[in-house]
Amino acid sequence: MSQPAQTHPVLDPVFAPPFPQAALTVLRNPQLRKNVAHAIDVIQSKRAKLVAEKTDWQELRSSASATRAHTLENLDYYLELFESRCTAAGGQVHWAADAAEARQIILDLLRQENATEVIKIKTMTSAEIQLNPFLEKAGINAYETDLAEIILQLGDEEPSHIVVPALHINRSQVREIFARRMGLENLSDDPKDLTNAARTWLRGKFLSIPTAISGANFLIAETGSVAIVESEGNGRMCLTLPRALITLAGIEKVIPRFQDLEVMLQMLARSATGERMNPYTSLWTGVTPGDGPERFHIVLLDNGRSSILARPRERQTLKCIRCAACMNACPVYRQTGGHAYGSVYPGPIGAILTPQLIQMQHAQSLPYASSLCGACYEVCPVKINIPEVLLDLRAQVTDQERHDLGRFFDPMYIGLRIANLLFARAWLFHTAQFIGRIGLRVFTRKDGWIHSLPGIGAKWTQTRDLRGLPDQTFHGWWAARHKEAK
Amino acid sequence: MTAPAESREKILGRIRAATQTVANAPDVLTTAYSTLSRAYVRQGKLTPEASIDLMIERLREYDAEVVECFPAELPAAIAKQLAASGKHKFLSPSGIPSAWQVAGFDWKIDHGLPTSEIEQAEGVLTASSCGIADSGTIVLHHSPTEGRRVLTLLPDWHLCILKASQVVETLPEYFTLFEHAPPIVTWISGPSATADIEMTRIKGVHGPRFLHVILVRDIS
Repeated sequence: MSQPAQTHPVLDPVFAPPFPQAALTVLRNPQLRKNVAHAIDVIQSKRAKLVAEKTDWQELRSSASATRAHTLENLDYYLELFESRCTAAGGQVHWAADAAEARQIILDLLRQENATEVIKIKTMTSAEIQLNPFLEKAGINAYETDLAEIILQLGDEEPSHIVVPALHINRSQVREIFARRMGLENLSDDPKDLTNAARTWLRGKFLSIPTAISGANFLIAETGSVAIVESEGNGRMCLTLPRALITLAGIEKVIPRFQDLEVMLQMLARSATGERMNPYTSLWTGVTPGDGPERFHIVLLDNGRSSILARPRERQTLKCIRCAACMNACPVYRQTGGHAYGSVYPGPIGAILTPQLIQMQHAQSLPYASSLCGACYEVCPVKINIPEVLLDLRAQVTDQERHDLGRFFDPMYIGLRIANLLFARAWLFHTAQFIGRIGLRVFTRKDGWIHSLPGIGAKWTQTRDLRGLPDQTFHGWWAARHKEAK
Repeated sequence: MTAPAESREKILGRIRAATQTVANAPDVLTTAYSTLSRAYVRQGKLTPEASIDLMIERLREYDAEVVECFPAELPAAIAKQLAASGKHKFLSPSGIPSAWQVAGFDWKIDHGLPTSEIEQAEGVLTASSCGIADSGTIVLHHSPTEGRRVLTLLPDWHLCILKASQVVETLPEYFTLFEHAPPIVTWISGPSATADIEMTRIKGVHGPRFLHVILVRDIS
C-alpha cells in the first residue's frame, strides 16, 4: 500500500472514519440531504423513462455483462492486444502496479513536457491515486475542467458521486464559491450564469496550457483506441488542443472490439444521466498527424485490481462501467450522500470496490453500509450482483474479526454470547423476559414505543425506535386462554 | 518504485495467476468472443422515411435547429442558414465542395489553420458521416469534409450537413456500417450541455452552443 500523498485525505479509505460514524454528520446536515435527494430524484426519473422505452434493455444488459465478464477472463490477452495496437498507432503505454508508481510515471511525463500547469478531464481514477495534491507538491498546477470538478476544486470540496460529483452543492453555494474564487461579486445564482462564468474562466486555459490529463471510459483492444463520454465539451478541448495527452486508466477498462461500443454506449448514458446519448463521445487512436496531440501516453493502473480478479465471486466488481446507477438507486446513498463512504467511489459499487482495492485492510464497515435490498443489482447495466459481493465481503470481515482478541470486549459479541445462553434454556429465557418487561416499562412512552435507551441500548435507539414489550407474553396468553376454556 | 518494464511483467503475471490463463494464448477474439450473446435489437424496424423523421425529432429535442432541402437546393439552404445566424466569419474543412462556400461571407478554409485563427471564427460548416435516429446522434469521422476535431469544437456555431441516406435507426446499425473503426470519431448528440448544478440542463458549456443541421433529402 502506498503512502497517502495528501496532508488531510478526506476521502482516503485508509484514514476515513467507519461508515456509521461518517454518515452521522451527513444525517445532521439537512441542506446536504436535500441537495442529494433532489439530484437523485431527477436522475432516477429520467433514467426510468428512458430505460422503459428500450424494449431490449434486458438483452442489452445480458450482452454487456457477458462481454465484460469475457474480457476479465482474458484480461492479459486483451491488455497486450491493446498495448500492441496503441503502440503501433503512435501511443506510448506505461504500466503502474500501484498508485505511487502511477503518480511517479505521470510526474516524469509532465517533467519531460516541461509542464508547470496541466488541464484535466474529470477522472475518478486520478482521484483514487490522489494525483492532484501530489502534483501540487511537485510544483505543477492541475486545473479541473469539468464544471462539477471546478466547483469542487475551487470550493475545496470532495466528490460525492462518480458521475455528478458536486450534486451535494446547490446553486447558491456554487455562486458563493465562484464569486469568491473567480472574483465575480455580482454573479447571480442562475445555473446559466454560473455555467457561463466557468466557460469564461476556463477558455484561456484550454487555449494556452499544452498538456492534458484524462481518464478513459473504454479501451478498445482490437484497435488500440480510447473512448471518453462527456457532456460539456471540456473533454474534447483537453483531448484536442494540447500537444501532449496523458491518459490514466484502470486495467479493467478494456473491451474487445470497436463494435462492443454499440452495447456499452446504449447503456452508459441511459444509466448514468438518463439521456439517450451523452452530448459528446470521443474516440482516438494513438496519434493522428495534424489532428490533436502530438504525443499520447497511457498509464495502465493495477492498484489492487488484479487481486480482485483473483477471487471468483468478487471478480464481477471489475465489470463496472462507472455509470453510478447503483448509487442513484440506493436507499442508503440517498440518505447519506457520498462522503460517508470515505472513498472517491461511494454508493453500493464503492461499498464493494473500496475495501477490495485496499485488500480488505481498511474500510471494513463499508460492506455493512447496505440494506441488501438489491436495487443496485436490478439497475446495474452490467449485472454486478452487488448484494452477493457485499455478503461475501461481510464474511471476510467476520473471518478477520474471529482472530481479533478485541472481540471479547465488543458489546455485540458479549450480547450474542449472553443471548446464546438465554435462548438455550427455557427457564432462563422466561426469567429474562420477566425482568426485561419490568425494566423496559420505565422507558416505554405512552404510544407504546421506546424512543431512547441509556448506555449500550442507545446504539439501537439512536437510529431507530423499539416497540415496547407487551404486558402479556404469548406463553402467558396461551396459558390463560387454556385455563378459561376449562 | 520498480522499473516500468518490471511493473508490466508483475501486473500481467498477477492477472494470469488470477485468471489461470497463459501468455500467447490462442486468439480468443475469434473463438470465445464470437460466442457471446447478442440478442438485443441490431436492426431497427422503422422505414427509412420514419427513421429520418425520428432523427429530426430527436435533434429538435436537443434544441438543435433542423431544416430540410433537396440536393439541388443545398447551397441556397446553406446561404439562408448563414444569413439567419447574423455571423460573417466562417470556417470550413479543406474537403467540402466549393459550392457550399456560398458568397457573401468571410470564409477561411482549414489547411492547418492555427488555433488562434480557428478561435476567431464565428461558425463552422461541415459534412458528417452518419446520423443515428434513435439517439439523435451525428457522427463525425473527421474526414476532409468533416474537418479536424478542433474545427467543430472552438466556434460557437456549427452548421452540419447530413444526408438522408446517411441516417440509420439504431446505434448497432452504425457499427454494422462502419465495422472498422476510423482512428478518430466524435459522436455528437445535441449541443454541449451540463446538468452539474442542481440537475438543471444548461446548453453550451465549452463546445459549440448552437448546432444547426441541414438534412438533405437525397433519397425519395
